[in-house]
Amino acid sequence: MTLRDRLGQANWQLILAAPVAAGILHICATLAAPYLTADSAYSRLAPALPVNKMRVLSEITPGSEPLPFLSPDARYALCRFDTSAGPVTVTATLPPDPGWMLAVMSPQGDNIYASASTPGRTTPITLALVPSEEHFLGVTPEARGVERGADPPLALAAKHGIVVIRAPDRGFSYQRDSEASLSAARCSATHF
Amino acid sequence: MLSHSALTPVHVVLHKVQKRIAIVFSILGDWAAFIGAVLILGLGTSWYMIDVGTPLTTIRQGPWIGWTSGGRADADPYTRAHFTRLGSLQLSAENLLTYVAHTDSDGRRLHSSCDYSVEGREPGTNWWSITVFNDRGELIANPAQRYAFTSQTIAIRPDGTFVVTLARDARPGNWLPTGGAGRLALTLTTIDATAPVLVKSGAAPKPLPVIRRIQCR
Repeated sequence: MTLRDRLGQANWQLILAAPVAAGILHICATLAAPYLTADSAYSRLAPALPVNKMRVLSEITPGSEPLPFLSPDARYALCRFDTSAGPVTVTATLPPDPGWMLAVMSPQGDNIYASASTPGRTTPITLALVPSEEHFLGVTPEARGVERGADPPLALAAKHGIVVIRAPDRGFSYQRDSEASLSAARCSATHF
Repeated sequence: MLSHSALTPVHVVLHKVQKRIAIVFSILGDWAAFIGAVLILGLGTSWYMIDVGTPLTTIRQGPWIGWTSGGRADADPYTRAHFTRLGSLQLSAENLLTYVAHTDSDGRRLHSSCDYSVEGREPGTNWWSITVFNDRGELIANPAQRYAFTSQTIAIRPDGTFVVTLARDARPGNWLPTGGAGRLALTLTTIDATAPVLVKSGAAPKPLPVIRRIQCR
């Protein structure tokens, strides 16, 4: 049988359909991959964290790593938030040292907010986490007859997630300072 | 060969069955090839782009690989799937970028049976660190309790360069113990608040440290 005969007998419909079907499978497999694992960072961290409360993690040592590839080059304070019962307020001040970060991470791992410290000046951060962008954040200070003391909080729409504050390891001498700054961060449900 | 007169109804039925089986096998063969090609192409390319990455999703320099959209709200599906499957904490790549190396600069797998020198110049970011893990992302227990060096804890030479030695036994200078961990993974984390650490502007990326194998046992 010649090559021409073989090509003539080939099922061209299937041959042309194969790359199209492979493309569809590729897209489906890629989009489904995050949902096919039970070991995302959120699902590993969330069960051990109290809701709407900041917790400073202990030093990361061999055998106590909460996540893979989590370096002991930093200390972490985490707050698992749930805004279904109302807004959650997060306040923190990043010291004027390089390497500090605050991020609001969704259960899918997206950072819906991230800020890093700026050398030479402190970075105060106040966030209002709300379930949706239309959520009522309460009466403004002016409407309550109270003078506005600081900038209004930055409102972020998120139902669940984790607030991560990362304090860089600057050596043994600075450990207490770093822990004090992490402990000063607050994460709490807002009551009107 | 049977003559017409020798063909019995049984032979005719058998012949028809044989022909139909041949047709079914021919169709099944086509479909088997189709399904095989679709599975290999579809799942194989998806796995490769999620696990290994491509220039569309990663930045590569020597053995170092960094996922440029990690943690970002506008991350592509491959990056999102990569970090979800990995299970690691991913802070926004706009400020923090982590490079991972599984091989030395000559492409040989990092292993605790060998000693390595990681030599380079400070990456030019606000803050950076180098950490050694086993290939499952776990820290390597050692009596010195030393797992990482940061830009604030590493000893830098007067000319601004540094050398970190990965070795099982103690070494002078910046030594990271590797114990008997087997395959190793090295991470280089860079943080910069003032300028995005991503190199998407077309500017030449800052050179990352070179990983050289010194000796193996």
